[in-house]
Amino acid sequence: MTRERVRKIQSLVALSMSTLAAVFGLFWLVFILGDVLAHGMKALNLSLFTMDPAPPGVDGGGLRNAFVGQMMITVFATILGVPIGVLGGTFLAEYGRGTRLAMVISILSDIMVSVPSIVVGIFVYAILVRPFGHFNGWAGAVALSIIMIPVVLRTTEDMLSLVPWTLREAAFALGAPYYKVIIQVVYRGAATGILTGILLSIARVSGETAPLLFTSFNNSFFSTNMNEPISSLTVTIFQYAMGPYDDWHAQAWAASFMMTVFILILTITGRAVLKWRYRR
Amino acid sequence: MNELEVKELDFYYNGDSLALKKICLNIHKNEVTALIGPSGCGKTTLLRCFNRMHDLYPKNRYEGEILFEGKDILSNGVDLIKLRSRIGMVFQKPTPFPMSIFDNIAYGLRLRGIKKKAELTERVENALKHAALWDEVKDKLYAGANELSGGQQQRLVIARALAVEPDVLLFDEPTSALDPISTAKIEELVIELKKDVTIIIVTHNMQQAARISDWTGFLMLGELIEFDKTEKIFTVPSHKLTEDYITGRFG
Repeated sequence: MTRERVRKIQSLVALSMSTLAAVFGLFWLVFILGDVLAHGMKALNLSLFTMDPAPPGVDGGGLRNAFVGQMMITVFATILGVPIGVLGGTFLAEYGRGTRLAMVISILSDIMVSVPSIVVGIFVYAILVRPFGHFNGWAGAVALSIIMIPVVLRTTEDMLSLVPWTLREAAFALGAPYYKVIIQVVYRGAATGILTGILLSIARVSGETAPLLFTSFNNSFFSTNMNEPISSLTVTIFQYAMGPYDDWHAQAWAASFMMTVFILILTITGRAVLKWRYRR
Repeated sequence: MNELEVKELDFYYNGDSLALKKICLNIHKNEVTALIGPSGCGKTTLLRCFNRMHDLYPKNRYEGEILFEGKDILSNGVDLIKLRSRIGMVFQKPTPFPMSIFDNIAYGLRLRGIKKKAELTERVENALKHAALWDEVKDKLYAGANELSGGQQQRLVIARALAVEPDVLLFDEPTSALDPISTAKIEELVIELKKDVTIIIVTHNMQQAARISDWTGFLMLGELIEFDKTEKIFTVPSHKLTEDYITGRFG
């Protein structure tokens, strides 16, 4: 056999194996999404969004409380997490660049990214639930923001580091002080990347259940009081899927479907933003 | 007349690494001074002393004096923001900010507190005309600066530096990333600009130094070997090293 033939066969084997692996992964993904789509669409109706849960065992009702609760927890988590993440990332890439402190924080946040979310849930339970004696929405928001911070922080750091150093020097050479260089030049250069990171981190925390089980828990009634237990989609899905009623199962599917759609939209927006370039 | 006088200048990177040794030279007003020499000779280091760019990094240290209008710009009390608006800089690679063409030029003006739209518009237009870029961009002032070609971006950056009406412009190999046509435009521009500003240019290209400069300084290993009128340096240099370098025997 010629060497060329051997190479062609090797290439074919590698190509078919990697294609098979991709198809295998894709198959399950499509399977899961298809299932969620099929079951979810069937259970989707207007009262899901407009009505609160019916008493257990009684048909009908909706998940308005969970939609609103989920939104509130996510919004407050974002308000808490994003500024800390962005400012922290700014410190790592700018003011603290090259210092030992920045390196330590950077490594720690890499570890934080992979800490199981249930650990965060228990931690927040210990500091924000037990001392107050009851579950509350704030604890849920804090738990999610703790999961968000390292993601936003590292993305910000990476995106700022991608802005060429000469751009900063050019701004300095015009007499700009450092904070103006960062806000007016560096942030602009990195804006789309940072925004994408923020959107993806929101997508990431929207699907979290474990940390909410220990913190905001659940509430069968409509509530916007963050000091009390508050309902969320993920915990509701968990509870309903485990429940004995067919109607609960259907609603859990519908909620899963909406959750998936939401995360899909966030992810697509995130990617679209990356492609978008500065225009006036 | 001297715009800048460098007296016994030593420069240390990182506290102890000596990069410039006892540099003495005079930069003449409204003339072009070229700094040439092999890589690592200290020409860019010297250029970056004039606007104190080295201050951005900790532990860099100057010794000696650089007099600008009779005052030492290396002394501690100097207002760097003011200094850098008097002594502008253009870098090797074009550095347009990620904003529109207009905002790029207006950046230095806004830093100085100029907010009136009419004044900004007028000075942006003047700066762009000055840098011979106006005709190419007048219809798309609000387009992103990144859409311009490399040569246009470099002229944009020059316009941005000119907008604040500096006395001195420092050029750090401004054409090394450009094609020959863009290079020719920048060279013409430099010659044109010396009516209004004093220019110091670092270049690797000796023909360029010969074409556009009035004075040339040859540096090697952190020392200023020779400083003289450009035609003298390129015809009858008084130093053997200079002659070897410009005839291409090393470097």
